[in-house]
Amino acid sequence: MYRFLMLVGLVLFLPGACALGYSVFQGPSSWMTDARTFWGTPISLFVFWIGLAHAGTLISAIFLALDIKLDRRTALIAELSTLASLVIAAVFPLVHLGIVENFYMVAPLLDVRGIFANIRSPLVWDFCCIAVYAALSLLFFATHLKARRNPTLEKYCKPMAWLLFPLVLWVHTVVSLDFATTFVPEWRGAFFPVYFITGAIFSGLALVNLLLCAEGYRVRLLERLQLICSWILCAIWAWEFMLKGSFCASAFIFAGLLPQLRMVAFIRESKWGRMAISASVLLGLFLERQFLVSPEFGSPAMASFGWVDWGMLAFSAGTFMLVFFGMLLLLKRFMEVDGSYFGEVDGRDIAEVEEAEHKDSPVRLGVEKTKKGFYVHPWSSEEYHVLRLPLLLGIAFALLFSLWVWGRMPFENVDLSLANVIPLFYPVVALVTAVALYARAYFVEKAFALHRIEKILAASVLVLAGTCAGAFYAGGASERGAARDVLSENPENRDLPVQTWNARCATCHGSDGKFNEKFVREFYPVPQKLDLLRLDSLGEDSLVNVILKGRVNMNAYEGRLTYSDALGLVRYMRSLAEKEVANDSAP
Amino acid sequence: MTPLLNAFACLLALACALFLWRKGSSPYRNGALLAGFLLLFSVFTYFGAAESLATDPALEHYPFRMLALCLCLSTASLPLYRRRYLVLAQVLWLWIELFGGIALYYRGFDVAWTRIAAVAGLAFGSTFLSRISREMEFCLMVLWLAVWVFF
Repeated sequence: MYRFLMLVGLVLFLPGACALGYSVFQGPSSWMTDARTFWGTPISLFVFWIGLAHAGTLISAIFLALDIKLDRRTALIAELSTLASLVIAAVFPLVHLGIVENFYMVAPLLDVRGIFANIRSPLVWDFCCIAVYAALSLLFFATHLKARRNPTLEKYCKPMAWLLFPLVLWVHTVVSLDFATTFVPEWRGAFFPVYFITGAIFSGLALVNLLLCAEGYRVRLLERLQLICSWILCAIWAWEFMLKGSFCASAFIFAGLLPQLRMVAFIRESKWGRMAISASVLLGLFLERQFLVSPEFGSPAMASFGWVDWGMLAFSAGTFMLVFFGMLLLLKRFMEVDGSYFGEVDGRDIAEVEEAEHKDSPVRLGVEKTKKGFYVHPWSSEEYHVLRLPLLLGIAFALLFSLWVWGRMPFENVDLSLANVIPLFYPVVALVTAVALYARAYFVEKAFALHRIEKILAASVLVLAGTCAGAFYAGGASERGAARDVLSENPENRDLPVQTWNARCATCHGSDGKFNEKFVREFYPVPQKLDLLRLDSLGEDSLVNVILKGRVNMNAYEGRLTYSDALGLVRYMRSLAEKEVANDSAP
Repeated sequence: MTPLLNAFACLLALACALFLWRKGSSPYRNGALLAGFLLLFSVFTYFGAAESLATDPALEHYPFRMLALCLCLSTASLPLYRRRYLVLAQVLWLWIELFGGIALYYRGFDVAWTRIAAVAGLAFGSTFLSRISREMEFCLMVLWLAVWVFF
């Protein structure tokens, strides 16, 4: 079964990879992009897959933290789906950037590379939160997987679950702020964090239910939650409609109305019926993301969903199937061991078994038996005792990081508020806490030992992480190598500077030569403001040199533009600046 | 939103809280109630602030703040895991206020730091609560309503 699903994945992946390669080579013009927001299919797919990536932590970690019983197999499948979804979600922001080789600019290294970074950009929050979430999800999955053979590790599962609980919500909140912090009318919404989290939980549940159907069993608790999520999301859509008057009918039909068919017994009891409902939710929520990212989606003025967009969609689905079922095949023997509950589950049977197990167990730390049941003294739970010192270290480290940010020289001239730094705070706390927790468990408490293959894997992950950190710190060269596409060799063409400007420069510098306001908020470093005074002080030769050789984050265009092309651009820039001065001085 | 309607909003949240988490109630009932209350709070905000809805961005998350307050009030009388859910409900409120505030900050509006600090203080303080008596339940409810009305 897994091999067949992997084959289906491969069939989707291969043409999808071709489309993805084409889109990276060709840039944003190749996919459907909204005319107003400049965002398109890659961002829709990113938001969709990052939403799906919440399933694992929601179902496993949050349930574990809140003492809601779930069988081990389901929890591991959910966690694995998180990891597979994260791999896919990480690809699309790179595609969206257009300049893939400049990806290193999103690391929160501020100005340590000598480059001014826009700390106010929500992209820096995205990168940090998702990277930390991926690392901790991997650690949690590995702990959960190893815990059955090494019961001493069980004591770290719940503290990790409490650490991941806020993090999973934090990640999607930060993704929602990418939208909510802009001036696009359709994206105004201080309620977006709750909206996005609800959508993510809903889609994550649908994915896990679909995967459980493929596995051949069901968890009624998750199906019930899926239905409840559809009601809450419908209420949120109603509020959005009242607020903005916009409404995505297809999302409402697929993710709002069709899931109600679960109330019909014969559909609910049929495997294909349950699969159809979950698939319908996923389709509806993908359409909703598309509608959200591209507010003009479906309007005649907008480009249609072309083959590249279909290709990217196929790539994401195919990669997920390959990664998820491949990993499942590889880890199958570790996931199915004696003592795990497997089969049709609705939560009650597990609760009874665990209750019987706990009856004979000694009284836990800080727990007092009372007539009504039990009572836990404040700040006395077992997970708190395990977590308190690493957590203290994490908070101290995050405070130091915040102070370091405040102390950097460039921010003396930047309006940097607490609101700009807070979104980075918890990911730093979570990362340091988890590292300290596991370092203590391995080196001090010697709670677990690693086999040779595990040591090699752990070392590989650390080397990879170190290489990534080094690459982020070092950055890339701003000069280009060989010429890729020469725009024109005809300096006599008077329209050429305008065309070149609009095609290559306007994204950052604005079509009118001022900042592109949205870009400034989204990307960094902040582009230079090209007013008349600055242009004249730099001089034509110097500016031509910057265009051809590149500077800081400005790419080198030598080989793609001739000297006269660059000179034409400089003069066009000056004409724009003159226009601005004329407009300012006009009565 | 006028101060009178703002005060009425917390009374509405208090009234709705009575129906949540009744003994023996199914997840379907509670889920449907939550969705229904959110719809009710949205309609309340829409008609209560019809004129200022387009001009006052602070109203964008008003129904969600009402829902968070409703959840806080409903957890005060839970029979099991009361302290845990009481703290979690306040953290949800804090979450909505904080990240809603950050979203508005980027659009040029001030963050309601006083309200955020008050909710954060209450949430942190609640973690120290020992056995919660009826008097303490009442005290917590008064504090939440005071934060709603005055901050």
